[in-house]
Amino acid sequence: MATGFDELLDPNGFVPHGVCLLWRPDILALHIASDTLIGLSYFSIPLALLYFVHRRRDLVFGWVALLFAIFIVACGTTHLLAVWTLWNPDYLLEGVVKAITALASLATAATLWWLMPRLLVLPSPKELERTNTALEREIAVRRQAESRYSSFFNNLAEALFIVEVRPDGDFAYEAINPALARATGLNPEQLRGRRVRDALSPEVADAVLGRYSQCRDTGESIDYEEVLSLPVGQRVFHTMLVPMKDANGRVVQLLGSGRDVTERRRLQEEMVQTSKLATLGTLAAGMAHEMSQPLNIIRLWAENILARLRGNALDPDRVDRALTLVIDQTERMARLIDHVRTFGRRDGGSTQVFHPVTCINSAIDLVRHQYALEDIEIVERAASTDLLVDGRPLELEQLILNLFSNARDAILALRGAGRAAGRIMVDVSGEQDGHTMAIQVTDDGGGIDPALLPRIFDPFFTTKEVGQGAGLGLSIGYGIVDRMGGRIDAANVDLEDGHRGLRITIILPSQPASSLDRELSHA
Amino acid sequence: MPEPFHILIAEDEVLAAMALEDFLSLRGFRVSVAGNGIEALERFAREKIDALVTDLRMPRMDGHALIREIRQRDAELPVVVMTGYLTHDSDLTHDRWKPLEIFSKPVNPRTIHATLQRMLGMPPATADA
Ligand SMILES: Nc1ncnc2c1ncn2[C@@H]1O[C@H](COP(=O)(O)OP(=O)(O)OP(=O)(O)O)[C@@H](O)[C@H]1O
Ligand SMILES: [Mg+2]
Repeated sequence: MATGFDELLDPNGFVPHGVCLLWRPDILALHIASDTLIGLSYFSIPLALLYFVHRRRDLVFGWVALLFAIFIVACGTTHLLAVWTLWNPDYLLEGVVKAITALASLATAATLWWLMPRLLVLPSPKELERTNTALEREIAVRRQAESRYSSFFNNLAEALFIVEVRPDGDFAYEAINPALARATGLNPEQLRGRRVRDALSPEVADAVLGRYSQCRDTGESIDYEEVLSLPVGQRVFHTMLVPMKDANGRVVQLLGSGRDVTERRRLQEEMVQTSKLATLGTLAAGMAHEMSQPLNIIRLWAENILARLRGNALDPDRVDRALTLVIDQTERMARLIDHVRTFGRRDGGSTQVFHPVTCINSAIDLVRHQYALEDIEIVERAASTDLLVDGRPLELEQLILNLFSNARDAILALRGAGRAAGRIMVDVSGEQDGHTMAIQVTDDGGGIDPALLPRIFDPFFTTKEVGQGAGLGLSIGYGIVDRMGGRIDAANVDLEDGHRGLRITIILPSQPASSLDRELSHA
Repeated sequence: MPEPFHILIAEDEVLAAMALEDFLSLRGFRVSVAGNGIEALERFAREKIDALVTDLRMPRMDGHALIREIRQRDAELPVVVMTGYLTHDSDLTHDRWKPLEIFSKPVNPRTIHATLQRMLGMPPATADA
């Protein structure tokens, strides 16, 4: 390409840059190609950056990319201008653009250095990856735990439920587990998220809400037995409630667990029945004796009257007396029959205020004869016979009979070992404080191994052979005394006569004499 | 006329004792009644007794103790036991207490009478009454 000298002369007197390169086509081509490519590439880079920033709105330092874009566009422009100035010596324009580039570069560089500390703390993708794996692992562990807990929740035989305490204090079911659903016949889906009052029948709701409120108000775990009329029928539940609190100590949730003890209760009742059967043997012996007395009197008087009638020695007075006496004796027998009837009753009758001494006497009467035949003497020392207690007389009688039969067993066992024994002492006394009374049954049967002493009130604890003892006597006695608000203890004692034995002490709250009057006036 | 046989009844049920006393008196016995073993032993010490009719269950001293005491004094005395309830293992059935007969209550007074007659070696009554 040829250029005239005029052309060399620009109005400003500059020469095109091509001149410097002596218009050598190879060098020119190299420069043109390189600068054009650089310029075009530089223009495309900010486009890519902007597109990236646009798509990744989560970028922390997006505006830095903008700076880069400006600086690179400016840079690209200088390269394109370098091509232009090969022919057109617009060096001012080029200079201005370079200046802009310089400013942009400077700003970008400064910003970069200024940002450096903050950029350095940005996690690297490697680090991010590591964190991610760690997170994933943790999530997996949590999932596992969660599934383990939910499998606990779903598979435990214990009935579990979670109650939400709403901000207004009301209760709603968050979840109930399948065991609870099975035990109660309630449908978990119908309960979930519903207020207790809407989810259950009114009586059941009343019953459980009382407990939930108690747990919410006290903020303490409670543990109780309840009888509920459920879709599966009337059931007895042993339930435990645990309050869950938020950071402010407000109860926000109740965790509940329940166990259906209906069967156990029934068994316990049956056990009481069984032990009654055991005492029934004693009772039968006592009964046979007691019934034979009035029968004997009736028979003797009937024979007597008959003999006199046949011997013509009968006067009306004697007949009158004999018949009155027969009537009295039949009444005596009727009372005995009543006694046996109540003994067989399941609930033991209602409680009443009564004289324990009467009870003890009738227990003694039942066995005294039988024991006397075995040379076992029952010595009663009742300091005060007017003491009163509250409970079921027949239960107390049963308890005393159980103690006698234990004492007898111990005495016979000791004799079997060749040692003398044969005394049962019954002491009844009022306590100093005036609010309690004590019944003590002491035998000289040798007592019991101190290591076993703490266990003798346990159900089914027995040292007797199979068929000899069920191990129920004392545990049932314990229940009887407990229901009367008293306590029962056992201790080995040394007696004055050098014998050893066991002493059972029963402490019962005693009732004021006025309570008996009240009871009688009610009757 | 020979002295009538003297029967001691030890029985705490007064009504039963009265009826039996009347019944045996009508049949020519002389009858005394004691309410328990101690009383019976006292009478036994004071008077001549030909036979003992006793209950087992009595206050203060029961029939077992009474019979043991009596046998120490008189090995031959006829004893008739009337009892409401006798356990199988009672040793009163043992020969060493004989002459002794046991009847369970309610007793038939005619049987008691017949037994006493037999034990005392009296000729059996021809007719009842
Ligand atoms: N008076 C006593 N002297 C010595 N040991 C006793 C006495 N009373 C109770 N025991 C001991 O306590 C145990 C428990 O007594 P408990 O009355 O509960 O049951 P049991 O007599 O074995 O059977 P059950 O009363 O059901 O027929 C007895 O097996 C015995 O070892
Ligand atoms: Mg027992």
